[in-house]
Amino acid sequence: MEWKPGVAGEIMTEKTKHGSADDDSGRRLSADPLGANSEIGRKLKQYYDDLVSDEVPDRFAQLLSKLEQAEPAAKKG
Amino acid sequence: MAVSAGFKADLLGSIPSLRAFAVSLTQNADKADDLVQETLVKAWDKHESFQMGTNLKAWLFTILRNEFYSQMRKRGREVQDSDGLMTARLAVHPAQQGQLDLKDFRSALERLPEDQREAIILIGASGFSYEEAAEICGCAVGTIKSRVSRARAKLQEILNISGEDEYGPDAISAQVMASPNN
Repeated sequence: MEWKPGVAGEIMTEKTKHGSADDDSGRRLSADPLGANSEIGRKLKQYYDDLVSDEVPDRFAQLLSKLEQAEPAAKKG
Repeated sequence: MAVSAGFKADLLGSIPSLRAFAVSLTQNADKADDLVQETLVKAWDKHESFQMGTNLKAWLFTILRNEFYSQMRKRGREVQDSDGLMTARLAVHPAQQGQLDLKDFRSALERLPEDQREAIILIGASGFSYEEAAEICGCAVGTIKSRVSRARAKLQEILNISGEDEYGPDAISAQVMASPNN
C-alpha cells in the first residue's frame, strides 16, 4: 500500500532527499513541506532545537569515562 | 580492539541529538535519559560494528530506536499502529495570526502515533534524508514519505491549520522565499 515501486526501486542518491519528481508524494515533498515556508516545519525545528540545546547532565560524561576505564586495552590504543 | 578516543568524543558530541530524539520518542525527560544511557552503553559495546566514515549519528539513532521499541515490547505495551489509532480530537486552541504556541505544538506532536512522530522528527528536525530515516526505522523510503505526510496532515488538523498556503503571514513569506524553479 505504502510501497511505491518507482521510489523504493530507485537507486537512492542525494537528490532524492528532496523527493523525486515522478511520483505523487515526491512531487508534494519536492516543495519541501517541512521547510522554512511551513509553519509546521518551523515549529518542528523550534521544538527540536529547544531539546538539543538543553544542557547535558554530567551523568553521560561520567558514564563514558567509566566505560573507558573498564576497557582492558584502553591504554594500548 | 580498544575504543578510540575519537569514538568517545564523537559519542559525547552526539548526546544532545540523542536526547532530543529520545524525548521525541518517549515524551518523557527521565525515560529519555535512561534510553540515551542504554544507547551509549550498547554503542560502546558494539563499537567494532560501526564502520568508520559512515554516519555515526544514524547508527546511534538506530540503536536508540531499537532500544526504545524493545523496551516498550518488554513492558507489554503495544506499539501504536497509526492505522488502528483514533486520533484524539482537538482541545488545542486554533492558531491565531500565525502565532502557534510551542506548547500547543508539543501536545499536538504527542498525539501522533509513534511511527509518524519519529518519521516527521527524523526528516523535519534531525536533518536526516528519507533514505537515512528509512534505514534507521528499518522500512522502505516510501513508507517514511507516507508517514511524514500523514504526520503533517494530522498536525495541521489538530492545530487547525488549513492549507498552509493561505496561512497568515506564511503566505507572504512563502511568496518571497519560494524559488520559481524549485
